[in-house]
Amino acid sequence: MITATKLGGALALATAVGLAVTGCQSGPSEAPPTTAAPGSVDLRMTVWTSNEDQLALFDSIAESYRADHPEIGTITFESLPFADYNTTLTTQIAGGNAPDLAWMGDLSKDLIASDALVPLTETLEATEGWEYDDLLESVTAEFSVDGELYAYPFSNSPFALYLNTDLLAQAGQTLDDDPTWEEVSAVGAAVNQATGKGGFVIRDFNYSSWNTLGTVWPGWGAAAWNADGTKCTMDSPEMVDAFQFVHDAIYVDGSMPGPGTTADFFAGDSAFTVAQVSRASLLDGSFAYDVIPLPAGPEGDYSVIGQAGVGVLSSSPHVQEATDFLAYLTNPENAALLAQYFPPPRESLLTGEKLAENNPKLTAEQLQTVVVDQIPDAITLPNHTNPAEIAQTGKTALDAMWTPDADVEAVLGSMCDAIQPLLAK
Amino acid sequence: MTATQVNPTTREAADTPPPGPPAVRGIRRPFWTTRRRDALTGYLFVAPQLLGVGVFVLVPVVLAVWYSLNEWNIFRGELTFVGGANYAALLNDPQLPSVLAATAWFSIGVVVLNISLGLALAVMLNRRFRGVTVFRTLFFSPVVVSVVAWTLVWGFLLQDNGGINAALETIGLDGTNWLLQGDTAMISVIVTQVIRSVGVNMVLFLAALQGVPGELYEAARIDGARNSTIFLRITLPLISPTLLLTAILTIVGALQSFAQIAVLTEGGPGLATTVLVYYVFQQAFEFNDIGYGSTLALMLLTFVMLLTLLQWQLRRKWVFYED
Amino acid sequence: MRTELLRRAALVVALAVLAIPFVIPTVWMIASSFKPLSEIFQSPPTLFTGSPTLDAYVEAFTFQPFAQQYVNSVYIAVVVTLITLVVSSLAGYAFARVRFPGANALFLVVLVGLLVPSEVTIVPLFQMFKQAGLVNTHWPLILVTALAGPCVLATFIMRQFFIALPGELEEAARLDGLGRPAIWMRIALPLAKPALSAVAILTFLASWNLYLEPTVYLTSPELFTLPQALTRYTDAYGGEMWNTQLAAATMTVVPMLVVFVIAQRQFVEGLAHSGLKG
Repeated sequence: MITATKLGGALALATAVGLAVTGCQSGPSEAPPTTAAPGSVDLRMTVWTSNEDQLALFDSIAESYRADHPEIGTITFESLPFADYNTTLTTQIAGGNAPDLAWMGDLSKDLIASDALVPLTETLEATEGWEYDDLLESVTAEFSVDGELYAYPFSNSPFALYLNTDLLAQAGQTLDDDPTWEEVSAVGAAVNQATGKGGFVIRDFNYSSWNTLGTVWPGWGAAAWNADGTKCTMDSPEMVDAFQFVHDAIYVDGSMPGPGTTADFFAGDSAFTVAQVSRASLLDGSFAYDVIPLPAGPEGDYSVIGQAGVGVLSSSPHVQEATDFLAYLTNPENAALLAQYFPPPRESLLTGEKLAENNPKLTAEQLQTVVVDQIPDAITLPNHTNPAEIAQTGKTALDAMWTPDADVEAVLGSMCDAIQPLLAK
Repeated sequence: MTATQVNPTTREAADTPPPGPPAVRGIRRPFWTTRRRDALTGYLFVAPQLLGVGVFVLVPVVLAVWYSLNEWNIFRGELTFVGGANYAALLNDPQLPSVLAATAWFSIGVVVLNISLGLALAVMLNRRFRGVTVFRTLFFSPVVVSVVAWTLVWGFLLQDNGGINAALETIGLDGTNWLLQGDTAMISVIVTQVIRSVGVNMVLFLAALQGVPGELYEAARIDGARNSTIFLRITLPLISPTLLLTAILTIVGALQSFAQIAVLTEGGPGLATTVLVYYVFQQAFEFNDIGYGSTLALMLLTFVMLLTLLQWQLRRKWVFYED
Repeated sequence: MRTELLRRAALVVALAVLAIPFVIPTVWMIASSFKPLSEIFQSPPTLFTGSPTLDAYVEAFTFQPFAQQYVNSVYIAVVVTLITLVVSSLAGYAFARVRFPGANALFLVVLVGLLVPSEVTIVPLFQMFKQAGLVNTHWPLILVTALAGPCVLATFIMRQFFIALPGELEEAARLDGLGRPAIWMRIALPLAKPALSAVAILTFLASWNLYLEPTVYLTSPELFTLPQALTRYTDAYGGEMWNTQLAAATMTVVPMLVVFVIAQRQFVEGLAHSGLKG
């Protein structure tokens, strides 16, 4: 069902066709002179937020940058719809209409692999007062190759467990502090029995986006592929155990709504959900809630974050100016401003109080435990070059999992058979 | 200006002999005979349509052939000539057999159901009784609903906890998880597609049925023929040209239907409902493999052409008369 | 007589049952557009809500320039329909009534245009329009739809209609000294009203429902058409705003249904006498 939106966006990709025949410039463009004529440089940055407060903040930072940099004519922040962001951006790049700077999520691997992003480390380290060492290693890893940073991870939102405490109370259930997945499942099953509502929901999974289960399987010590992304490990014994847990939750315990059943936590339809902390904005106050770190698996505690970075496109005619602006946008002072909305990558800025200043949904204490304490050791969801094809090919194989009598181990084996050739590409 | 060139738009010019040397033999005739003028009008009349087909269909098809011989890097904007590599990939694609099987089932299902249901509805509605207009309107109404809206709604209804299963429960039947099992997912996309589009065929058949001369029925009745015999011996042969036309239009439509599959099942579960059009879309627009996508698209085009040609040839066997 | 009555009653009952799946989705869509979000997925599902709200309708207009998108869809469909009527009636008339060398071969070429799936041509077409600087304008939607695609079907319908037309009227006109353009204009077109109305309906619907093309060519929300806009009702995280989507869908469907119900007779008659009899 999600596809209606995905579809729209993906189709826009036809734009990608644009370049090939006309033969656009390839590879990084030559570095332009650092001093340009006054007002001669216009910069454009694509973002996926359409929040007016956030855009106003960007505009004000850009304004103060222009005051000191006469060569800059305008700096525009272009909002693209979140649902089609990747495809629209790809379209622009392929159509020869790439922005100078761009927010990016899982598109980053492909962009880096195609030399489409400008390396940042040298510039940022050389910028006075930027304090490169303040960046947490756990958040720069996603956007780095061989120690070189290609995008500044301005937003790092951990996944957390949301609880509908009204629903729990209604079912006469309570959840221990520091629960395990088994306990969450047991309580979820009890809620399901008592109220008919769902137990726990992995948000956006929908029996399709299987990489979102990457918020669960690290508890079993499992990973989708090895560290350098060359070998599929979806069939590892740890992964089999993790999927057996999910399968049992659906078909034995009834603690997770089955495929084809829609249960939206934020509409009050389930007891728990795993979602990013930033989704707290979807809470409309129609029920009492709590937010806690992800449950522990057999292998203990773990943290997962979803990230967004901002990088400079190497196709930009103003690489130098764009990189300089990025350095200004993300310096300690401006990073502190951005932290009102986006969990920052800088250790010095990560405190519960700071984050709570602009967050009406969560308390400083909640933010401390589910955000600040999680980020330093967090991993990310599985990511790889060519993400769409791996996701789709994996999904095709994994569909066999969602029947009551599925052979978990065999299905995961066939999944590795299917995606291994893509990983090796 | 050579001697024979005349302004074709002025009719007077056609009636006066052209200046210059006279015709060598025979009677001097005006160059712009009725036949020639007709021919020119013909070309001018069809020119806009031909231009449209040429520029917006034929040229793109040729370009698609060129793309299929290349590999693209979207982010670098590089086009690399790879010769037949994409065609070789076609043979080695482990998913393609399933895709072709799904395409065949889907197309056959849609064509058979669409035509038989359309014909049945037309026969039932081809008589006078109170409310016949209402029913014609009801059966035709999904045609004016946009595919996206229609499919979104069916997606809701076919959920495990959706309206269909709830309705089945009230009459004591057990539903199933329609969109998540291979067979029922295929049935679901076929049925929703047919319900949305059968109205057009129904109207076409209605028109054809109304064109059957009533005297033929009278005569058959007097001869004591049964209804089924009349239908098979008189009605069907007489409307066979419509049958051929709707069969062609329906099968072409089925091979191109895409939005309903993308929205309802995303081609799943597994590859159960991944028809060729959807696969083309995935390769070209989701996986950014424009070269392979174009190759698949050309294969799709070949199928459409072959099927149409086949039907066109077969028409001699079963179409009763032609214009 | 009694058996005849019974038979008729049975027929009506059968038709009524058959009609359910044709009607329920639209009814459900309209009913659900007035539900609060939490009720849409309520289990067991309800058809009508106890607490109707117009929030989704307001949201549909505030979330994106829906009114502008509505105007876009309407004007594109009208322009496309007008062009198609002219182009297809000219070509259809010529293919049916005018003898010129190569007519059959050219008609076959046109028919090919009917058979090429848009998925085959969309990528190269995008490239061509990009070269022409027409991406993110309405030109590709208008040109391709009005001159290829649906227009080819229209030409086919018009040809079939004109072929079936008796030739006497035309002959009389010729004897009166009318040229082909005048015959087309004064004799053929007035006679072709049923076919023209069928063509107009089919073309308008084809343009109105166009989905693949706008999503490919258009990136600015104020240029979007309705089917494309329908899929853009998603929150900041890509989650679908179901009730808003249903409200917007209702607003795109209901006017068409109303027009259809009013013009039902002409609609069906037009198609029926369109010459599509084969």
